[in-house]
Amino acid sequence: MKSWIQVFSIIDFISVGILLTAIAMNAFRRLESYLRAYILNSWLLSLLIAIVAFMIGETHLYIASVTTLLSKGIIIPLLLKKIVRQMAITYDDEPYISTALSLTISGILVAVVYTSLSEGIFVIGFSKHVLQISIAVILIGLFIMITRKKAITQVIGLLCMENGLFLAGFSLTFGMPIIIELGVLFDMLMGVIILGIFSIQIKRAFASADLDKLTILKG
Amino acid sequence: MEYLQFIIIILFSPLIQGFIRKLKANMQGRVGPGVFQPYYDLVRLLHKDMVVSGITSWIFKATPYIVFASTAAAAIIVPVITTSYRFGMMGDVIALIYLFGLGRFFMALSGLDAGTAFGGEGSSREMTVTILVEPMMMLSIFTAAISAGSTNMARIAETQSIAYSPSHILALSAFMVAIIAETGRIPVDNPDTHLELTMIHEGMVLEYSGRYLALMEWSHYMKQMLLFTIVTDIFFPLGISTTLGISSLGISAALYFIKMFCISVFMALVESTRSKMRFFQLPSLLGGAFVLAVLSLLTYIMMGK
Repeated sequence: MKSWIQVFSIIDFISVGILLTAIAMNAFRRLESYLRAYILNSWLLSLLIAIVAFMIGETHLYIASVTTLLSKGIIIPLLLKKIVRQMAITYDDEPYISTALSLTISGILVAVVYTSLSEGIFVIGFSKHVLQISIAVILIGLFIMITRKKAITQVIGLLCMENGLFLAGFSLTFGMPIIIELGVLFDMLMGVIILGIFSIQIKRAFASADLDKLTILKG
Repeated sequence: MEYLQFIIIILFSPLIQGFIRKLKANMQGRVGPGVFQPYYDLVRLLHKDMVVSGITSWIFKATPYIVFASTAAAAIIVPVITTSYRFGMMGDVIALIYLFGLGRFFMALSGLDAGTAFGGEGSSREMTVTILVEPMMMLSIFTAAISAGSTNMARIAETQSIAYSPSHILALSAFMVAIIAETGRIPVDNPDTHLELTMIHEGMVLEYSGRYLALMEWSHYMKQMLLFTIVTDIFFPLGISTTLGISSLGISAALYFIKMFCISVFMALVESTRSKMRFFQLPSLLGGAFVLAVLSLLTYIMMGK
């Protein structure tokens, strides 16, 4: 009955979708589409966990899937949207490098991960591909944090990294104990709230949301 | 008989163009010209006199024949309704892409040959788009070629299964973007206008008239239908005949026209719902599609399917 998951290689499709949405975050300059790519990324992550839970029949994976959907798919995006509206910015207009170059570099990152993790001792979870994709997503999130200027876009880069980490942990161990997962999610929620307040304060104090301006000393 | 399947592409390619134009007009709330309008245009152009600039060289006169011949040669090595034919041994996907390259090279030269500013502009833009599109097309075809274990078009069409994997979907999306760029359709180029500042393909053929223009336009239509055929061969080969029986050929031909219909609808939809991009924004669209093509190859290598 559960063979259709294998037949249509659904896990492969969803994990490639997670990778694609992470790469798409590199391409978008408009904050709205950028945020939408992140939301899609989180929803796909939750869907992947739900399908694996269905496949192996573990109850606590269902809980992990639902908490992921609630926190990363709904609450955090709503908070971020509110912050974006308060800051009244729609574009990350001048990132450090061009769209084409950042897409190329994220492609190279994926190639490096695929080749360097092609074999090794890591393969103990349910799928080798998922582990590789999760490491690629972590690196892409880090790359987004390096290349973007606005505080809010860097926060979303961090969240993308966290999605990758969650996927990596999940693919290696079938999910951490539920108490740790809840703790991490709660921490993230707090982190987003604090960083949101920070970025609004930065915007208010410097009349700009660019983190570049923070290097200017104020007496 | 099976050697004559490329005739289908030569004969029906203006119909596809007319059909896309008609669909586009209907989607925009216009009646539009009939689906046979490209045929009338070609016939009219073939009867007209030509005006050839006095400063042009032999390249200008040879180009229409070279472009038409190279596109027809590319049509010969592509399986249209049956994979059982011997011309397929003459060339593979790599030869196919370089036959397109030959035609494009001479077209760009002829744009420069007449010495007008718009011709040079069109040629330079075409070459800029080409260096982005050609590797993308190659990589996405190679993904299918690796999974088939052959670069021969007929073998690829025979071995492709219906169970799609992520790498195929990625390659398909990259290839669709490549087709839009190659056929000069809307996010990349506008096929309907002669607006100086935006034209790419029209800029290069601006100096042509009469019989030469007919040949250039016809080979453009043929190239478009040929690219659609390559998509169906590589990604949707369902139902393509592997034998020469009359019944299987009939089913295959019917399915072929249904597939062409679907791709035409898709193209008309894209053209009606997108707006043309600024030329300097193109590298981010094509670069994105190129990353898709690279990822499809990488994903294939990683997942092994």
